[in-house]
Amino acid sequence: MALKPVLRSVAALFCLLLTGLISAEVGTPIPPAPTQWVTDESDFLSASARESLDTQLEEYAYASGHQLLIFISQTSGGVPIEDWAVRAFAAWRVGRQGIDDGLVLFIMSQDRTMRIEVGYGLEEVVTDAQAARIINDILVPGIRAGEHDRALSDAVSALLTTIGGAGTGEEGKPPGQEKAAKPMSLGEMILIGILIIGFLILLITNPSLAIYLLFSILSGGRGGGRSGGGGFFGGGGRSGGGGASGSW
Amino acid sequence: MPKKSIALGCLGVVIGLAVILVFLVIGSYNSLVTLDQRVTSQWAQVENVYQRRADLVPNLVETVKGAAAFEKDTFTAVTEARSKVGQITPAAAQSIINDPNAFAKFQQAQDGLSSALSRLMVVVEKYPDLKATQNFRDLQSQLEGTENRIAVERMRFNEEAKAFNTKRMRFPTVLIAGFFGSRFNEKPYFKAQAGAETAPKVQF
Repeated sequence: MALKPVLRSVAALFCLLLTGLISAEVGTPIPPAPTQWVTDESDFLSASARESLDTQLEEYAYASGHQLLIFISQTSGGVPIEDWAVRAFAAWRVGRQGIDDGLVLFIMSQDRTMRIEVGYGLEEVVTDAQAARIINDILVPGIRAGEHDRALSDAVSALLTTIGGAGTGEEGKPPGQEKAAKPMSLGEMILIGILIIGFLILLITNPSLAIYLLFSILSGGRGGGRSGGGGFFGGGGRSGGGGASGSW
Repeated sequence: MPKKSIALGCLGVVIGLAVILVFLVIGSYNSLVTLDQRVTSQWAQVENVYQRRADLVPNLVETVKGAAAFEKDTFTAVTEARSKVGQITPAAAQSIINDPNAFAKFQQAQDGLSSALSRLMVVVEKYPDLKATQNFRDLQSQLEGTENRIAVERMRFNEEAKAFNTKRMRFPTVLIAGFFGSRFNEKPYFKAQAGAETAPKVQF
């Protein structure tokens, strides 16, 4: 019966590998977009501190347009916080559409990791070095000392000072929106006209074929295209992994 | 007159088939062009972030040189890798993403720079004074941020390339794509760096 322990350890190893693979692939599922500016799922902050930060960020968002969120949870589930953050940022669509001027501070209390994820539109303002300074000089020492409330509020004021309120009130023309429709050339119009006439003839002579054709055109021809189901936030959501991470 | 109506019916079927063909070609072509454009613009993002890293290198090397002048080999390795990268980037984006060989070369050069840089950062561990300076810490966080951006943009490039390739290889698009020759070549993917994906060894 010397085979049994071997079998058991093989089975254990297999399970280990399997769970390892699964968690490495997926991690904690991205929760739905938060409905408040400061989310604290692990009692990291005191209730009053959470409230006041929430009000501060909300007022800032209305005044400047920049959406700054704080999201505190337990764990990213085995994936690096950078991966998790960039996916959450995209899923929640933080920032205004076309400008992507959002920023999220993620804190995973159980992993003891954090990340400042910066949208494309704020990359010029909140550089990686500045984000790293806020993490290394304010957040990490403060959290290590156990003063979570003070660390977070200092970090938020440092972020707000860095970004400032300038150059934001005006509605910046979102780049990349002009790709929607481009005018047709004359040749294309004639071609389409001919096709429409041909289709009408077909519709009279052979209606079922025409309807089948219509369906096949509608179902084909569509490329990729990310769906635009806007969340609570403006519908930006593009970040390119700018920002900084840290741990304590 | 039944003969007349049969003739009319045949005409209708012929016109119908022609119309189907034309619509298929137009639809497939257009969706290929759209997806191709997305790959190209994502490729521009990839080049941006790689360029960003290449721009960081001289500054980083200068800063480290000041404090750790002995590590000559490491510097030359980084500088050489940097110049190899510099030789490749100016090539037109379109040619790289449509040519698997050029693409592999590009990735090889960039991975070379990655490993040279990571060796440099290991060497720096020996110099606590240097690590403590604000200038170096800023550079380090910029480098880390840039590496993270590279990972993100590469992943997105692979997603766009996959979307294009899937469309390109499906029926009937595959017929139409072949008709346009190399205009719609399959897109290459970024592969994980050698060694990055090896599973940790388990010992009993």
